[in-house]
Amino acid sequence: MNFSRMFHNLNYVVSALLFLMGLYTVVVKPNLIKKLIGLNIMETSVFLFIVSIGMVEGGEAPIVAEGVKSSQMVNPIPQALILTGIVVAVSTTAVALSLCLKIHERYGTLNAAEILGRGEP
Amino acid sequence: MPLAFAALCPIWGMWRRKACFPWSLLGVAITSFLVWSLIGKVNASKVVAYNVSGWRPPWGIQIRIDYMGLLMACLITGVGLMLLIYSWRYIVSEIKEERIPYYYTLYLLIFTAMLGFSITSDLFNFFVFMEIFSITSYALVAISGERMALRAAFKYLLMGAISSLTVLFAIAFLYSATGSLNMLDISSRLKSTAYLPVASVALILFIAAFAVKSALFPVHVWLPDAHSIAPSPVSALLSALVIKMGVLGIFRILFTVYGHSFSGLSSTWNSIAGVVAWAAALSIILGSVMAIIQRDLKIMIAYSSVSQIGYILLGITLISTRGMAGGLYNIVAHAMGKACLFLVAGIFIYKHGLRRIENLRGIGRTMPVTAGAFALAALSIVGVPPSAGFVAKWYILWGCFQEGQYAFVIVVLLGSLLSAVYCFRVVYYMFFTGAGRPGVGLDEAPFTMLAPTAILSVGTLFFGIFATLLLPSLNNAARVLLLK
Amino acid sequence: MRKAAVLGALLIIGAMLLFAIGKMPAMNSRNAPDKTHVIPRYLEKGEEEGGAKNIVTGVILNYRGYDTMGEVTVIFSALCAVVALLDREKRGLSRSSPDASGVRSSVIVRTVVRFAFPVIVFFAVAYMMLHGEGSPGGGFQGGAILGASVIVFTLAFGLPESTRRMPLKVRIPLESTAIVGFLAMGIIGLAYGVNFLTYLLPGVHGAMAQTVRNLMMTVIEVGIGIGGGVIFISIVFAMMREDKYELQPDVPQP
Repeated sequence: MNFSRMFHNLNYVVSALLFLMGLYTVVVKPNLIKKLIGLNIMETSVFLFIVSIGMVEGGEAPIVAEGVKSSQMVNPIPQALILTGIVVAVSTTAVALSLCLKIHERYGTLNAAEILGRGEP
Repeated sequence: MPLAFAALCPIWGMWRRKACFPWSLLGVAITSFLVWSLIGKVNASKVVAYNVSGWRPPWGIQIRIDYMGLLMACLITGVGLMLLIYSWRYIVSEIKEERIPYYYTLYLLIFTAMLGFSITSDLFNFFVFMEIFSITSYALVAISGERMALRAAFKYLLMGAISSLTVLFAIAFLYSATGSLNMLDISSRLKSTAYLPVASVALILFIAAFAVKSALFPVHVWLPDAHSIAPSPVSALLSALVIKMGVLGIFRILFTVYGHSFSGLSSTWNSIAGVVAWAAALSIILGSVMAIIQRDLKIMIAYSSVSQIGYILLGITLISTRGMAGGLYNIVAHAMGKACLFLVAGIFIYKHGLRRIENLRGIGRTMPVTAGAFALAALSIVGVPPSAGFVAKWYILWGCFQEGQYAFVIVVLLGSLLSAVYCFRVVYYMFFTGAGRPGVGLDEAPFTMLAPTAILSVGTLFFGIFATLLLPSLNNAARVLLLK
Repeated sequence: MRKAAVLGALLIIGAMLLFAIGKMPAMNSRNAPDKTHVIPRYLEKGEEEGGAKNIVTGVILNYRGYDTMGEVTVIFSALCAVVALLDREKRGLSRSSPDASGVRSSVIVRTVVRFAFPVIVFFAVAYMMLHGEGSPGGGFQGGAILGASVIVFTLAFGLPESTRRMPLKVRIPLESTAIVGFLAMGIIGLAYGVNFLTYLLPGVHGAMAQTVRNLMMTVIEVGIGIGGGVIFISIVFAMMREDKYELQPDVPQP
């Protein structure tokens, strides 16, 4: 493994770690809301990862203006993708939260173990 | 050319609430007609392509209907139409009245998303459509608002969301290694890339994520809950079509993006295909065993889906022309057979509120058409000769012999035997027990529920007897894909 | 025990990810594949071809307009999902403040919100949406701010007040503006024989074509903004209404 390259790609490493942290939260925490927070951490880590791909040394925002050469701009595609990605993430979270509301209403708890225990009617 | 896109258009505007059922029926019917009109314009080496916004592929998004895409699109429209007709009478009995407009809206959205997913050739667009059908299917599972349904939907949502994010991560890896999002462009650029390890990790992530979506063995745990709790037409939709989208994902990644006989990555590719094949074999056996020990009809059918998905993926990853053709044929056979089984289970619930298998005694006498449809579809799931399932399994078996994979031969045969056990147990209860119940005349379901069920079950028989309609072109497609 | 197993699995995944990251193109580099393949054309010709000074907007609406249409559909389906899961609009309008306490928020909060609200809306519509193609911003961002402004308003004045000012009858047509606007703009091009989502009118060339395209893209931006914003508002309203349920879970008593 090439450690200097890895250090140079610090954003990538951090986002991979965040991804794992989120995954851990989703799998291990019993509270449904905490699971959702973990899911959101995962989402954010992927967004950080994709935006980092587009970075350029000393880059400028990709807006055509006086005195900005096109070679200086950062890559606009990842930013466009992330806009879509964020909307998707928000939608998933909205659906998940409304499921949580309903679950809390019907079961009276948000603890995954308790909900599983009360499964059979 | 705009035809390909026009196929998608009419549905977007379908949200209007008034007269939901006829309106959505119209939308689905027009779309189906447009999709079917493409048959014949596409074959193994000919595609219909359409550039949205008018930009050529590496720059814009291209819709590209290849053989696989058209096969899936025809299946989606055909089965989707039947399920929609069935929903009209059924859905009233399972969900609250005020939610019915949303049911149809979600139905149209999921239908649109699956079509878009099968025909796009852009990876990110792929992801977007995947999210649309995922979100709508979480909602459709939970739409009855029952306790169990909410729980199943949440479980499905967590697993589904994690797998979606994994797909996005993998897309990011591929994008950083190739700088492109178009599948074909990525495929050609991967051949000369300096970043092969990145691409191979992306491949692993993709396959793991789509394995969740298609409920392959170790990660199938969401499926039995979600599919058995949802309202019956929704179960049929999820089981017949939505999990096929996961299969399609695996297929697209393995063959369209990475490609077989790919010098730089062939060892990774082969070992991953091997892992998928073994996971598929395990799903065949374990899915069938779990189905045998169930007492609830819908849970049993749901587990049977796990084992049938195993057949499909085993066929696809055998890397043999016959096996591939068999796997693809099983997609057709399973979509129709499984949709039919779920619809029959729905009819039993609608008429008598019966879910338990033991309670079905003698029902074959009062509802001969329904029970007969079940028997026909079950024959296809088991793989008894004149049915479509038989053709599919025969080809998969042939593929196993071709490749000398005798372990898989045993798995396929054993799987068929086990599925015979769980299917014929139900058929036995329906027809050959409870003879003593006197004075019960014919008592069938409404026509709009009976007709789609019957059509689907006859469909399995039709594609079994007239298998030659599809097989030659499937064989061709498989040959092109495997470069044999 | 279970945690250990999970940690072990995560370690394997992590090692795999780090392995890939170690082999990835260096960050910041101008020679990475993603900067040499598709991008130069966007950056050099983005202004003429994409029709916007802000190239991100050009990419979203023009080069990858189909994706954005999918994105609009995603929030639309989220709206449908949320509304289908939660209960209907008409119930639960009797609450005087959003939280169950029944206490009105303080005068300071209400006064500040009353002043800030129009400014936020103006910022969202005028700066983010209308000017989005020339500066940072765009339809969705504007929509999010618009939604947030109404949410702030709701927090200060309570749900009944804001549902009274933005009743269901107003929101339903607005929710679909995004999709319908997109489709309409796409189909105008289709009707004249160019591809879907190509922002061109026949017989219009040169500078005039630019103007037409900018106009159409602005229409779409505003459509997305308003539609998206209203969808966010509706989702939040649906969720807030839900917190009035009585605490009587139908759990079978053991």
